[in-house]
Amino acid sequence: MAAVKINELHKSDLPWIVEIDESKCIQCGKCCAVCSFNSISPCVELRKKSANLSDSENTEKALVIKQNIGFENHCRGCGMCEAVCPNGAIKVIRNNDDMYAIRYRAEKGESLKRGGRSNLNTEGRTLDKIKIGRISQMTDPSLDPLRHTFEIKTQLGRVLSADKLGFEVNGNKIVETKTLPPNRWIYPIIFADMSIGALSSRMWEAIAIATAYLNEKCGMPICMGTGEGGIPVNLLKSRYLKYMILQIASGHFGWNRIIETMPEMTEDPAGILIKIGQGAKPGDGGLLMANKVSKYVQEIRGVPKADLMSPPTHQGLYSIEESVQKMFLSMNAAFNFRVPVAIKVAASVTSVSVYNNLLRDPYNIVGGFFLDGFAGGTGAAHEISLNHTGHPITSKLRDCYLAAVHQGRQGEIPLFAGGGLGQTGSFAGDAFKLICLGANGVFSGRLLLQIAGCCGNDTEKCNACSTGNCPAGITAQKECLSKRLDVDKVAENIVNFMIATDTELRKLMASVGCSTLPVGRSDALITVDKHISKRLDIQYSI
Amino acid sequence: MCRIGAIKSKKFLHPSLALKLMRSQQEGHDDSGFAFVMQDLGGIFEHHKDLPIISMAGTVEGIRKTEDILINKGFKSVLQWSPHISSKKGLKIEPMPNYMFVVVQYPKSHKYATKEEKEELLIDTYLEIRKVLEEDNSGYIYAFWPDTLVLKEIGSPKDIGTYFNLWEESPELCAKVITAQCRQNTNYDIVRYAAHPFFLEGYTVLVNGENTFFEKNRDYQKCLNRAYIGFESDSQCFLYTLHYLNKVLKWPVQYFKQVITPLPLEKIEQRPDKEVLLRIKASLANLEINGPNTILGVLPNYNMICVCDSKKLRPVVIGQNDDMVVMTSEVAGINDIMPDRDISKDIYPTESETVIVKNDLTVERWQQ
Amino acid sequence: MERFKIDTLNNKNRMSTQELLQLIQAKIEQGVTSFEINACGQHDIGGASYSRVKGENLKFFVKNPGQRLGAMGMKGTQIIVEGSVPADTGWLNSGAEIVVKGDCGDTAGHCSASGEIYVGGCVGARSGALMKHDPQFKTPELWVLKNTGSFSFEFMGGGIAVICGYGCEDMKSVLGERSCVGMVGGTVYVRGNISDVADCVEIKALDKEDIDFLNKGLQRFLEKIDKKDLLKSLTSNWSGWKKIQPVKDKKSEPRMSIKEFREKEWIEGGIFSDFMKDDYKVFELGGTGMARCRIPQHNSAECINCSLCEKKCPQKAISRVSGGYIADAEKCIGCGICAAVCPKKAWKMLENNKDL
Repeated sequence: MAAVKINELHKSDLPWIVEIDESKCIQCGKCCAVCSFNSISPCVELRKKSANLSDSENTEKALVIKQNIGFENHCRGCGMCEAVCPNGAIKVIRNNDDMYAIRYRAEKGESLKRGGRSNLNTEGRTLDKIKIGRISQMTDPSLDPLRHTFEIKTQLGRVLSADKLGFEVNGNKIVETKTLPPNRWIYPIIFADMSIGALSSRMWEAIAIATAYLNEKCGMPICMGTGEGGIPVNLLKSRYLKYMILQIASGHFGWNRIIETMPEMTEDPAGILIKIGQGAKPGDGGLLMANKVSKYVQEIRGVPKADLMSPPTHQGLYSIEESVQKMFLSMNAAFNFRVPVAIKVAASVTSVSVYNNLLRDPYNIVGGFFLDGFAGGTGAAHEISLNHTGHPITSKLRDCYLAAVHQGRQGEIPLFAGGGLGQTGSFAGDAFKLICLGANGVFSGRLLLQIAGCCGNDTEKCNACSTGNCPAGITAQKECLSKRLDVDKVAENIVNFMIATDTELRKLMASVGCSTLPVGRSDALITVDKHISKRLDIQYSI
Repeated sequence: MCRIGAIKSKKFLHPSLALKLMRSQQEGHDDSGFAFVMQDLGGIFEHHKDLPIISMAGTVEGIRKTEDILINKGFKSVLQWSPHISSKKGLKIEPMPNYMFVVVQYPKSHKYATKEEKEELLIDTYLEIRKVLEEDNSGYIYAFWPDTLVLKEIGSPKDIGTYFNLWEESPELCAKVITAQCRQNTNYDIVRYAAHPFFLEGYTVLVNGENTFFEKNRDYQKCLNRAYIGFESDSQCFLYTLHYLNKVLKWPVQYFKQVITPLPLEKIEQRPDKEVLLRIKASLANLEINGPNTILGVLPNYNMICVCDSKKLRPVVIGQNDDMVVMTSEVAGINDIMPDRDISKDIYPTESETVIVKNDLTVERWQQ
Repeated sequence: MERFKIDTLNNKNRMSTQELLQLIQAKIEQGVTSFEINACGQHDIGGASYSRVKGENLKFFVKNPGQRLGAMGMKGTQIIVEGSVPADTGWLNSGAEIVVKGDCGDTAGHCSASGEIYVGGCVGARSGALMKHDPQFKTPELWVLKNTGSFSFEFMGGGIAVICGYGCEDMKSVLGERSCVGMVGGTVYVRGNISDVADCVEIKALDKEDIDFLNKGLQRFLEKIDKKDLLKSLTSNWSGWKKIQPVKDKKSEPRMSIKEFREKEWIEGGIFSDFMKDDYKVFELGGTGMARCRIPQHNSAECINCSLCEKKCPQKAISRVSGGYIADAEKCIGCGICAAVCPKKAWKMLENNKDL
């Protein structure tokens, strides 16, 4: 055996320890076969046979399963080995004394990168301290989720105040006299933008199928954000384009194809989303590690196999006025002002300034403000950004809404909030509370991954989206892994989840006596936390 | 629950008719207040139709402060009327020390002013008086507008009627449009301003209902017009929305229902005017009323309207004869004051219509 | 005992509901069975009371009652009103016969469980909601000459309603909008146009039994409301009548499966098909062939033919060939045991990095 030195990586440094109960192990090899990280391997060890034999005869070779120790192939705790072990002989255990992050930086001289969400959830979630406390009882009847009709729809697109609609009255009828900014009525939950590349082609297609199915078979006009990793031409030419919110980020990946396909499009997209920032890693641009840049990704993005690091800002945008003109105007013009153009920024102390500027845009070309909180997920980021940058969504959304209220302009640029929704189990509850605080709608991406079978969590389980070794095939481009994902099953689960969420939203709307979306109805909310009450201007209840 | 009533007549009527209209509906409300608005006035006011009338109640100090403001602005008193106060003991009423109804002449500066300029002056003055009275709680101003008289008080409607001697018909106090509501109590504090009917610039609204979108409505309305103030009752939002739509935006009153209870999208999609309806639904989403309600209203042209919520959760019925159209919560009230009408002509408005009573008493039913 | 008359208005003073109801109860206890009440909107008149005189029914002749006329009415009570009445007439009627010759407001017959309600005009929104039938008692009936408001017969669980649609020929729907939502029992007979009826019910033509019932019932009904002359016009054309009943054994149509949607409606071959063909087959965990994360490769030059790999392979995937061993891709899961046990490192595990 080679000499062991203190400065090398040891098993006890790793974040996850694999334990095998040899009395149960039948050496079927399945655990090693399924491990996409190659973190465990069979090997032959020398064992002592008996205490009575002489040394020369006292060893025998034994086949055992051993954990590999290395920076590239350390165990991520995904648990696939546990899942396939017929005897329950293998276990992965979180090592709370790990030194991996320090060892990695010390050895590699690189910042640590991973996928997932912030793993330093020290503050607790504000949304969990808010309850829906104004229940319709006697003064107004609560509604019946079965009997009454509910309309769970919201607007995407610039909404003009009534006095600016340019209406004229002809007898008893109002007539339109001018072309107004494009405006769509959509479901208030948007499938957040995750790119092809970040996701496996199968996962991306499963979300697209679920989106189409929800629209066409379930009457739920859900939109899907495409992310910025190119859009398959087949989709651009199809009628399903109308459910897609095309994203343009700083890399502009795939936009040449979108532009070239315009003559063959039969539908307009639902919207365009200009991504400026992302809640999980504000200040960072997109990041796609070379392992995930498959042939298809190379082609659709027009790049070679390499780490793709998009700049954090759009080159050529140095002020908000320029942004409005260049990005909003150009994107509006691209579809001849028929498609709402929205913007996505990471929640930040400066969010209100941005929102105010956009509200005052005199050309009415800003069709939505997507605010992404720090608890959102990402396919790849520097861990330092994930854990230490960002802003909670709740107070910033509220600030933006109240800033609009202050000017009497609430609803003119619809607000969408995201970042960590459903993190503690109730997606509909989170969505409803944010809507009451002023969101016109919400968006979530990570949730879809969890619905699809993502095994990761916020206590460092897996978080390997960036590696291309996603054991669930959700964020892997390799055939052997991405084909683990069952497109039909994933789409089915997403559809089912949304139907359940729709029912739950109705349930909550009914209890507060609303048959339409209670945007800004903060009177329906209470909190048991004094600070939250003060900060969000909602009732303090104990 | 509130009980509400509205009478429109070809002949001048005394407010005792409103008391009788509401009397049978007593158990429908909590006997806690009575308020009425008279418009298109007769009697002693008949010859001053163009001149503003101040309707207020207050302490001596409140009355003095109000008079000071009027004098400072150059208004001249033309006619003053006070109700005959009953000295009967044991009445269930919490009266104010003084009630003032004064017809005034516009200031000289406004002799040649346009209608809009005069209206501006009236609303300025109204807001100033209201502010001053609120400072030391010395009174309440309910209206300052031509051809309009408003009285609101806390107590039992029957006793309030007795206190102001309103049960006795008298030719000096009469009108062709009378709206009345029983119940002072709102879900909040008992405040005189919280009692319907609410009045602003010729628009009168009274509501039997709840506005679950009160906060949303209020937040939006606060920025729309300086006269959208108070919000002591969630029902004031109904008035402000009607005023904003019809007076500010100049939209036909038929669109009121499209704003407060917009059609669901799937119904709008089938409409030839869907583009307009979609824009209204989006742009005035903050003025949607979600909750049970029946709304009765009077417009500056004295047309009367009635709309209900989209689930038709609150009652209303309209009865009519050749001289009079009456809208109220319960048919018992109409039975009392129009026992001989043709009941087959009674109208029970549905959740989707706007009923408009024209000045010739024709009744139009507009489907949303 | 003779009919007891009550005038509830004395000048401007109105007798409260409580005073009136207590007076009525006191008189009933004294043996009064017949009342003539000149009401002023008092609630609950004629409700929850029973005659103290054996063999004599209670009779109420009422002018201008208020809400909930005959609410919780009992068997042996008859109530007659000449004009129109406000909301909740016959609420929870448990056996009374209530005749209103004019209109009823909203929620007429709400929760009525027995007895009959006859209405000579129309009824308002949510009328007939939650009517139900306890087989121990007579079936509740609600007869209406004209039409109902919207949301009628919501959650109806039993009983019979007859909506004659008289004079309503131009109406889009004599049942208003969204009627019969959540209806699980009972029958609504209706004459005239109907639209926007919930999909939990079915609209059927009358059979002979229905016609017999209506023939008899309409005669009785029209007599009660003094409109005998209308019998002919209501019974002359039975094809104008329909009956509404809940759909029996309603099977909800299963949603199309995603697989079917993908294969039949989704973009042919999938959205990536212009670049790569995906067969949409799913690899199981620990699968063979291309599902393997790592694939063993054998180097014959190193091999000493010790057959350890062949013996230890848990999948029995390895077999001997001339010059060495091969792993059968159909059996091998890529566990790497062959590589581990080989004394000469003749097996190597290669990463399966093929893109989809």
